[in-house]
Amino acid sequence: MPRPVRRSLKVTANLAGVVAFLLCAFPVYWMVNSSFLPRNRIRNPDPTWLPLGGTLDNYRTVFEGDQFLNALKISLMVTVLTIVVALAFAFVAAVAVSRFRFRGMKSFVVALLVIQMIPVEGLFISQYKMLEGVNLLNTVVGLSIVYVAAVLPFTVWTLRGFVSGVPYELEEAAMMDGCSRVQAFFRVTFPLLAPGLVATGVFGFIQAWNEFTLALVVMTREDRRTLPLWLSTFTDVNRGTDWGGIMAGSTLIAIPVVVFFLVVQGRMVAGLTTGAVKG
Amino acid sequence: MSETAPRPRRTALPYLLVLPAVLALGFALGYPLVRQVLLSFQDYGLAQQFGRPPEWIGLDNYRELVTDEYLWRVTLRSLVFCLVNAVATLVLGVGLALLMRHMSKPVRIAVQSALLLAWAMPVVASLTVWQWLFDTQYGIVNWSLTRIGMDYEGHSWLLQPLSFFFVATVIVVWMSVPFVAFTVYAALTQVPEDLVEAAEIDGAGPVERLRHIVLPSIRDVLLVVALLQVIWDLRVFTQIYVLQQAGGSTHDTNLLGTYIYRLGIGGGKFGMASAVAIFMLVLTVILTGPYVRAMLKKEED
Amino acid sequence: MRIKKTLAGAALAGLALTALAACGSDSSDGEGSSGDSAPQAADIRVWLNGTDTPDEARQWLKKAFEEQNPGSTLTIEEQEWDGLVEKLTTALSSESETPDVVEIGNTQAPTFTSAGAFSDLTEQLDSLGGDDLLQGFVDGATVDGNTYAVPYYAGSKYIFYRTDLFEKAGITDVPTTMDEFVDDAIKLKDANPDPANFSGFWFPGQDWRNGAAFIWDAGGDLATDDGGEWSGALEDDASIAGLETAQKLFEQASGAAKDGNEADPWTPFCAGETGMMSTPGWVMGLLNDPKTGCPDLAKKVGVFALPGSDGQPAPVLLGGSDIAIAAKSQNQELAQKAVALMLSDDYQTILAKNGLTPAKSSLASLLGDDMFAQATIAAASNAKLTPAAPGWANVEGSRVLEDLFSKIAQGGDVTELAAAADEQMNSQLNG
Repeated sequence: MPRPVRRSLKVTANLAGVVAFLLCAFPVYWMVNSSFLPRNRIRNPDPTWLPLGGTLDNYRTVFEGDQFLNALKISLMVTVLTIVVALAFAFVAAVAVSRFRFRGMKSFVVALLVIQMIPVEGLFISQYKMLEGVNLLNTVVGLSIVYVAAVLPFTVWTLRGFVSGVPYELEEAAMMDGCSRVQAFFRVTFPLLAPGLVATGVFGFIQAWNEFTLALVVMTREDRRTLPLWLSTFTDVNRGTDWGGIMAGSTLIAIPVVVFFLVVQGRMVAGLTTGAVKG
Repeated sequence: MSETAPRPRRTALPYLLVLPAVLALGFALGYPLVRQVLLSFQDYGLAQQFGRPPEWIGLDNYRELVTDEYLWRVTLRSLVFCLVNAVATLVLGVGLALLMRHMSKPVRIAVQSALLLAWAMPVVASLTVWQWLFDTQYGIVNWSLTRIGMDYEGHSWLLQPLSFFFVATVIVVWMSVPFVAFTVYAALTQVPEDLVEAAEIDGAGPVERLRHIVLPSIRDVLLVVALLQVIWDLRVFTQIYVLQQAGGSTHDTNLLGTYIYRLGIGGGKFGMASAVAIFMLVLTVILTGPYVRAMLKKEED
Repeated sequence: MRIKKTLAGAALAGLALTALAACGSDSSDGEGSSGDSAPQAADIRVWLNGTDTPDEARQWLKKAFEEQNPGSTLTIEEQEWDGLVEKLTTALSSESETPDVVEIGNTQAPTFTSAGAFSDLTEQLDSLGGDDLLQGFVDGATVDGNTYAVPYYAGSKYIFYRTDLFEKAGITDVPTTMDEFVDDAIKLKDANPDPANFSGFWFPGQDWRNGAAFIWDAGGDLATDDGGEWSGALEDDASIAGLETAQKLFEQASGAAKDGNEADPWTPFCAGETGMMSTPGWVMGLLNDPKTGCPDLAKKVGVFALPGSDGQPAPVLLGGSDIAIAAKSQNQELAQKAVALMLSDDYQTILAKNGLTPAKSSLASLLGDDMFAQATIAAASNAKLTPAAPGWANVEGSRVLEDLFSKIAQGGDVTELAAAADEQMNSQLNG
């Protein structure tokens, strides 16, 4: 293609990128900005655009006591358990539905989709009863189970798209070179799935990390609070909501997700792609 | 991608592979789903929740539901809202993903990080911030518009239903674009670079390459993302719920999600709420059915 | 997720049922509890909401309970008001996870009492305080003659006003009747044209909880019970008169958002945009704190209870909390003892010293006699509850009243709007 076209495309893309960046980031910036302001300056007829002369008080409040660290621990356990299990289960299921043809496959795929369509607003009461029946209320495992179920259908469907996005011919070629079917899959297809695993992993991470309603009813004990539940302790109708605390807490909650992504993106994608080149 | 299933050979392997997912879903959702269906045929309120035996009332919940003109208004509203939001989200998300491939690395990483931050921002915080931005008295949207000479002082963005849904759309799209952009961008990295280059050498322009090479390669992911977006936008709840607390008229802005909630937890009528939930499920199935069928059929060819 | 505004405005408080008897006997209780009839030792879980209950009271309760019941323990688990209904709906239905004692907002209580979520406390009522308990709370938690919850503490809203702005507008005395109040509010607004959103009386459109006072004061009601059949009463002449007063205030005295809610009233106040506002007493603490409020303006605050047309305090919405025992609790007897302690004079005294109106009328004087205490006591003296209709939760759940008041604030036709709201309520009130 002619160079000028490519260059103008790049300029357009970068411009769009800057606009997208600003639109996406502004509310996030406003959260961070507010987290450095004293409560009486957060909402004010004259907005404070930069936290100049700001305060770390909100962060001090947030770190008071061991509540934050405890909630962080619970949230990490729930989230890691959820995405590890969900990704593993979804991955094998996605392989089955995109690389095999078997009786019941279509029903399975459609069932997943239907599950995805069920409105959850009323379902949490029934899920509570289910967890009560198996004595898993107020446990990390119990909450993780309902989270896995919540992200699994999505994950299977999306990974299925990614698996079938890798032409089967590539695997066949590898098999002609003497690889077994399993070897061919892991040498050729699996590395190409890395971006899909990252994307669905991030999705699962954020779902489990930020979910509120199920956590609210399942984790009623103080030492079992997840981060969103801990965050809600800053809202108090009878004492006035501590918006500064909410914003500081939210900032701290959002950071691990970005760290998670950067680590996964850097490590995993790089690692797997290298594998692909070698394969 | 078309040649998905080369092996008609009978084997237990695929069944073993889907087994964990089936078991997990069956365990976590089996009983709740069955219960949800049963509840929809019962007069089940808070008293039943605490042990009073529920009364079977057959289809009464459904009858009451479908004969209520308000439900149909809410349904129609939900459909339009869903359509507008899903289209806007997909256009922006896919567009951004395509453009991301052409951005310079620092810009791309900045965009990715911003997307991720927007996505990861706890919902309490993001909805609060959005409310503040559009606040009638102290919102910086009004503040800025007033500064540039427009008469927006004390303007209420939520008062008129149309304006309410505009704000809701901005928020919903803002919250959903990251997912679409991320997933589609991930799919794009799968597109074999040599294929694109080959087409380029053959003289295909950017649009042709997009149409004939890039989009077909990511078709499966695109279809899934679009489908999920429709499903999610149909059940949108939190954003509407929070905006209703902030302003506007609840009656004129209820969507199916908030309607169910207000019937169920809000009013303690769980049987009725289950009936609306089943109604919504059926509605979604009917709406997406043809799409899903076409999608699965195409894969078979 | 639901942010705090869900419950904003409902001045919620808790209540405790305690028994003087339990207190009186705690010295001799040791031997009693070792006998055969003593309840089996257990850990009693008490759910308290938010940070209303002061630490001092929590520690006292735990200590007193554990001394009185050797071998048993009492654990206070702090819950949030936000999402409380969801949590109670699930947890109270579970035998294994249910807390033993729960605090619940007094306006939320009827929904749960009529559903059978709580144990019957009728027999304990006398020992817990009997007629001395705040009667409105007891009535609100009574179904068919049985009482399922008792008051924990109360707190109604009263009027905060800027003394300097009163002076500036030429208002020499605080209003003593409803008419004077409305006139003063308009006078304040007129005297302060700048900023445009200045409020003589800060009255955001969704605020039906403050708005109900105008209906009640005019002799109207939200809904009435006609031989077991509830119906909306907003289109009654008296109610319409009250709603018209509200509309007058909305249009001529308030600069608040016409569809806004009543959360964070200190924000406009500290921006100098408020002449009067009706808020709970604890707001004073926020105003005085330089980090959250505006100590300079707070110095110019005066308070009084909203006056009624008859010169007595107007009937305002009663805020506060109830306390109840979960019907599914396995430790009913111990739970009763805990409730008794929470209604004991000692415990209630701690609450009163922290500015919460105690659950017993006889202890009201403990609040002190400064202007805040006087306004608190006056406001509570004539306070009313929302209608005890079985389907009242549906009305609140579908936000009929928020919509009604917000439309009245926008200048809608009061009679038409009231009729429409009545119609909607009629289909909801009877469950």
